[in-house]
Amino acid sequence: MLLKADSSRFRLGFLWWFLEPLLWVSVFFLVFNLILDSGKKSGDFILFLACGKFAFLWFSKTVSQASGSIVASQGLVGKVNMPKSLWPMSVMHESLYRQSTVYLLLILILLLFGVTPMLAWLWMIPVVAVMYLMIIACGLIGACLVCISRDFQKVIPLAMTFLLFTSGIFWDVRELADQEKAQLILITNPLAFMIDAHRQVLMHGQAPDMVHLMLIALAAAAFTALTVSYMQKNSQYLALKVLT
Amino acid sequence: MLELRDVSLDFRSSKGSFDHGVHHVLDQVSFKLYENETLGIIGRNGVGKTTMLRIMAGILAPTHGEVITRPGASASLLTLGLGHRLDLNGRDNAVLSAMLQGASKAEAMGYLEDIKAFSELGDSFEEPVKTYSAGMKSRLGFTTALLTHVDILLVDEILSVGDAEFRKKAEEAMKQRISGKQTVVFVSHSDTQVKDLCDRVLWIDQGRICAQGDPDETIARYRASMKK
Repeated sequence: MLLKADSSRFRLGFLWWFLEPLLWVSVFFLVFNLILDSGKKSGDFILFLACGKFAFLWFSKTVSQASGSIVASQGLVGKVNMPKSLWPMSVMHESLYRQSTVYLLLILILLLFGVTPMLAWLWMIPVVAVMYLMIIACGLIGACLVCISRDFQKVIPLAMTFLLFTSGIFWDVRELADQEKAQLILITNPLAFMIDAHRQVLMHGQAPDMVHLMLIALAAAAFTALTVSYMQKNSQYLALKVLT
Repeated sequence: MLELRDVSLDFRSSKGSFDHGVHHVLDQVSFKLYENETLGIIGRNGVGKTTMLRIMAGILAPTHGEVITRPGASASLLTLGLGHRLDLNGRDNAVLSAMLQGASKAEAMGYLEDIKAFSELGDSFEEPVKTYSAGMKSRLGFTTALLTHVDILLVDEILSVGDAEFRKKAEEAMKQRISGKQTVVFVSHSDTQVKDLCDRVLWIDQGRICAQGDPDETIARYRASMKK
C-alpha cells in the first residue's frame, strides 16, 4: 500500500524508481569519463558505475529514510504503543520491493551491453541478502540515534556522502596502487566490500569472498538483534524522546 | 481495572542544555478506574490531560510511580485519523487505521462496509484522502476509531467533529458505546458532554488532581475557579 502511495505522488509514478538511478549513472559518467577523462572504455565504465551506484543508492536512500521514519510519524507515536522498530522496518521492506525491480533493470542493462548471462549470477542471491541485512542494521541504529537526539539527522547525509566517496563507486578499489590500502578499505568499510562483490559477480562472474560475506552477515544480524531488543525495552523512553 | 499510583512525569525540554529546564507534567497523581464506569477528565489546556491518557495507554512510562492494569485488559486511545496517508483512498486508510488500533487484517476488512455506511462518504470513500475536506476527514477518522473494540477506551476531545448533524450522530453512537459494557476515560472541554456521559469527573490543574467526584459538583467548582 505504501508503494501505491509512493508511486501515485508523482506524475511519472513508479518510473522514478528506474529514472533516478539511471540519471545518477549518467551524471557520474558525464563527470568522470567525459570531463575528467578516466581513460576507460565507456561501455565497461557505464556497467561499472551502474553496478556500484545502484547498490549504493539502495543503501543510502533506505538508511536515511529509515533513520527519520520514527520521528516523522510523531503523531502516530503519541497515539499507539507499537514496537518502535516497525517504522524503519516498513521503510526498509518497502525499499526491498522497489530495489528488486531496480536489479531487474541492472540485469537488463548488463545484457544490453553484451554481457552473457552466467550461472555465477546466482551468487547475487547471498550478496543481496547480506546487503539487505546490512541496510536493516544501519537503518535501525540510525532510527534509534535520531530518536534520542535529532542532531543525528544532520550528520546522516554527511555520513552518506563520506561513504559515497570511500566505497569505490566511481573508482575501483582493486585498481588502487597501494594494495595494502585497498585491503584496509575492504576490511574497514563493509559497503566497499559489498559493492565490489556486486561487480565481481555481475561483471566478472566471480564468486565473492564467502568468509568475508558471512562475517558481515553475522555482524549485521548481531547489531539488528541488539537494536531491536533495545527498542523493545526502551519503547516508552523513545516515545517520550520523540514527543518532547 | 486500572490504577495510577503516585504517577509523576517530567522531561527535559529541548532547550535543556541552556536553562536546565525540567518540565513536570504530572505530579504524584493517583486514582483508580473501575470497570464499566465512564470517567471524565477536565482542566485547562496544558495541564497534562493528554499525557495522562498516554500513560494509561502505555505509550509513555511514568518517571516515578506505577501504573497497575488488570492483566489482559487492553487500553487504547481513540484518535481521529490514525495513520492517514493522504495519497491513499478512504478505504485503504480505514483499513490502516483499524489495523493500527489492534484489529487483524480480516477484522479490518469486515468493518469496511459499516464504516462506509456510518460515515456517509458515499463515492468519496474510494477517492484519495488528500481530496477530502476537513469535515470529511474527521468523519472517516471518527467512524474508523469508533468501530474498533478495546477494553478501556481513552477518548481525547474528539466529539467535536463534522457538521451539526454528524456530531449528533457521533454523540449518539458514543453514548451507546458507553452505556454498554465499556470502560471509558473521556477528556473534553464541553460541560454538557461531560455531564451527559460521565459517572465521575477528575479535575486536573498543574499536574495535580484538584477535585474528583460527582460531575455536576466538580464542574461547578472548576467553572468557579476559572472566574476568579
